[in-house]
Amino acid sequence: MYTLVHAIVGYFFLMIVVRVLTRRPGAQMTLFEFVIVFLMGGVIILSTVGNDRSVTNCTCAVICVGFLHRATSWAKAKSPRLGAFLDGTPLVLLKKGQWQDEVMQGMRLAPEDVMAAARTKGIRSFEDIDYAILERNGGISVMEKEEEGDK
Amino acid sequence: MPTQEVPFTKPVEDSVPKVDNAIAVGEDLDFQRRWWKFERVIWSFFLLILLCDALGLFGRGWLAKAHARTPDGALDLKYERIERASTPSIMTIKLGPSAIQNGQAHLFLSDDVIRPMGAQRIAPQPATSVIGNGGITYTFPATAPPATITIALEPSFVGAHHFHLGIPGSEPIHATVVVVP
Amino acid sequence: MAIATILRAIFGYVFLILMVRIVGRRPGKQITPFEFVLIFYLGGLTLTGMVGQEVSFSNAACQILTIACTHYGIAIARQKSPRLARVLDGTPLTLLEGKQWRANTMSRMRIADDDVMAMARDQGVRTLDKIDTAVLERNGEISIIPAESEED
Repeated sequence: MYTLVHAIVGYFFLMIVVRVLTRRPGAQMTLFEFVIVFLMGGVIILSTVGNDRSVTNCTCAVICVGFLHRATSWAKAKSPRLGAFLDGTPLVLLKKGQWQDEVMQGMRLAPEDVMAAARTKGIRSFEDIDYAILERNGGISVMEKEEEGDK
Repeated sequence: MPTQEVPFTKPVEDSVPKVDNAIAVGEDLDFQRRWWKFERVIWSFFLLILLCDALGLFGRGWLAKAHARTPDGALDLKYERIERASTPSIMTIKLGPSAIQNGQAHLFLSDDVIRPMGAQRIAPQPATSVIGNGGITYTFPATAPPATITIALEPSFVGAHHFHLGIPGSEPIHATVVVVP
Repeated sequence: MAIATILRAIFGYVFLILMVRIVGRRPGKQITPFEFVLIFYLGGLTLTGMVGQEVSFSNAACQILTIACTHYGIAIARQKSPRLARVLDGTPLTLLEGKQWRANTMSRMRIADDDVMAMARDQGVRTLDKIDTAVLERNGEISIIPAESEED
């Protein structure tokens, strides 16, 4: 029973901590962030199961966490506001050659981070970018300017 | 030996079902509908498990707590009907007035408490412990009730264990503990 | 208790497969950091129950081998039997087709239109009406096939 309480508390605690901590500039998960994720997951596991390392206990804890996740995604689907709170919203970083400074500073992103995303798409210079969007998972989508000939 | 020979090459066929005769997707909606039904069933089943767990049907909860006493009131035993393997728990024995004679209290524990249920510690330390009759008889120096003996358990064997404990010469308490994995 | 640890390992493996399968596939590239943590959380909880108090090296090796064998066995079975593969991996699902959302599928899979749009942006598609077909793949990714309007 205590395990269930611990699992519920642990789930929401992790959710808030991760929401605040991550979705960092550059957006791709770096090695360091993977380590952090491991660390947080591992620490919370220890406190969740406590000294009760029986199969019954761990199975119930897994079911409980799965259930919570299911319920959260259901709630997110029902309420877009909650979804925005938990996952954030996509943000426009670069619009028609204009940096959106407020967003860039708020998310602590540098133009280099956007360029890194652009290079993976084969875009060479900043002039060729039409839109750059920071996605909810922290990835940056870059849209190339359409060729002049098409217009 | 493989029963059927897989050829090294074979021509590409239209083996993946298409949507609209245009895009090969391989969608199987019938299966997915059945899966959704299954998901709903299994989540209700899981909810039931969680409920049982919260109530203590798998140990460490309200339903697992058990209480037994001898008719003459000499012993009052609090234990957990359902234990979890390799998880510590506490068994409490309260001694009544008739259990203490000449400044001493004797307590007989059957072997099952010691071995399958893994008695780790007994508090307070008994003055003497005598083996025999399929168990151990402990002697504690005692003054007057209320007097409590606690036994820390850590069961290591899964299954139902029957045990009894009592004061030599009077009727023992019989009880069964189920140890879940 | 060697049998017990092997049984625990098999149980842990099968249980996790089921759990991950039914907790729901989220669009793969949309996996959020929190879901990463959640994966470790689920895995670690199962692991704690699997290992229990037996933290010896021989036990660890034994359980790892058990899981490896179970995984290998399931991989073979999955290849042999399309039915099993369907149960383990699910089937691809069409989300958007011919300007029509598959509303039922979307709500059951907890996918919102902006999840599809996020994948579309990643491929350089700018608006929803430029999508011809969107398919939720078995690995949880959403493939977008852009409408071929320019050519026609």
